[in-house]
Amino acid sequence: MNDALQGATARPALSLHKLGVACGLAAGAWLGAAEAPTKLVTMGFSPFVITLGMVAGVFVARWTVPMLLKGTNFLFLDTREKAHLMVWAVLAGMLWAVANTLTVFAIRNVGLAIAFSLWNTNSLVGLFWGWLFFNELRGSGAKEWTKVLGGTAAIVAGASVLAYATAHQSSIASGRATLGILAALGAGVLWGTMYIPYRKAYLSGMNPLSFVTVFTFGELGATLTLGAFFHHGLGNLFAEVEVAKPVLFWLFLGGFCWVIGDLFQQYAAKYIGIGRGIPLSNTNQLWGLAWGALVFGEFAGLSVYAKELVVAGSVLMIVGAIAIGMAAAPASELASWKKAMHRECVRYSLDEQRVTAQFEGEDLHTGDSGGRRWWEAIPMLAALGIFCWLGFIARRPILPVHTSWMMILLGITLVFLAVGGTLLWRRTRFL
Amino acid sequence: MKGSVLLAILTDVQLWAPVIVLMLGTCLLLILR
Repeated sequence: MNDALQGATARPALSLHKLGVACGLAAGAWLGAAEAPTKLVTMGFSPFVITLGMVAGVFVARWTVPMLLKGTNFLFLDTREKAHLMVWAVLAGMLWAVANTLTVFAIRNVGLAIAFSLWNTNSLVGLFWGWLFFNELRGSGAKEWTKVLGGTAAIVAGASVLAYATAHQSSIASGRATLGILAALGAGVLWGTMYIPYRKAYLSGMNPLSFVTVFTFGELGATLTLGAFFHHGLGNLFAEVEVAKPVLFWLFLGGFCWVIGDLFQQYAAKYIGIGRGIPLSNTNQLWGLAWGALVFGEFAGLSVYAKELVVAGSVLMIVGAIAIGMAAAPASELASWKKAMHRECVRYSLDEQRVTAQFEGEDLHTGDSGGRRWWEAIPMLAALGIFCWLGFIARRPILPVHTSWMMILLGITLVFLAVGGTLLWRRTRFL
Repeated sequence: MKGSVLLAILTDVQLWAPVIVLMLGTCLLLILR
């Protein structure tokens, strides 16, 4: 028995499937919570400025959270060891940014209800890529296929029902509808394809914390480029950001919550694969809805029929998540995953024993990470300083808020963080 | 980076699939503009 397996038996024996499911559900809760701060400030600003503000917050958090959890030495060593994956991480960040921009046009042309339903098919796209490139679901029986495909379909359908029931429909110009549908479908394809680099990195033993640190360069770079393009120059874009300065704190806060949700999503993609991980994190729609309805009172004028649809859509999503949660990969499918991992190891001359250990949340050379450095405190303090400064100049939002519901939802979201974080730490030490 | 690794990257279909999707998505953005 090797060191990694001995380490695994010494710790509480939580299956990687259960860990991945817990991470997927925590991702849904935090990605949904990330919508809350942005709801306070989206009025009257260009969608590109809103996105840029959030991505800037994401950029700050993406450096500090991984550094806090594992230290820069570990991140540098891990990135250097799998240097070939940097191009994939940057590419994934760019895919995210282009998809996000496409959603702006989709919402403008066909409305949120149709657009959301269409781009939510990203989980089906991810499932396809996972099957095609990484042997996900190969070797599984009809039971697992039914649970995963049925669960994914239920989550897509549930999200579509929720979007239909809650979106404020506007008149759609028929000439623009086709382009709007194409934009939404395009966003779904891009967001589904973005998971190819995720899965490739994790099958090669890369740590999710190192992956997101590189990913964020592609994300911020592409967001800046697209923002500058649509605002006819960086100068114009920054002039708009300057106007939005009093609300940047809320966007940064949304970005920070988004990073935590995304990290859980990355761990879900690592431990249960993209076919099962994406639909679980797509339950964020349910949480976004809960924040909107309970905290911001968005459903005050909703008809009884629409409220019934909301309940039906939510139940569908929960049933879908339960189905996927129960679809653990059998030994025959895990053997197929191993074949995909072996292919990566041969292709890029990686140490297969070490990669296997890292993929299973163990590291044969944990002692090599070299500990922490004193100067790591500088970027931490800088990030904290940015948040404090933005908080100091922030304008208090005028939107009325139900404080008691906000506290309850905040509490639930923090429970997800505590449970997900503790499980990850105890089982994998954030590997 | 070693030449063999660079060659492996350039011939990796798992890189080209996202690149093609990214290019198509960017073209769609330009059309929408």
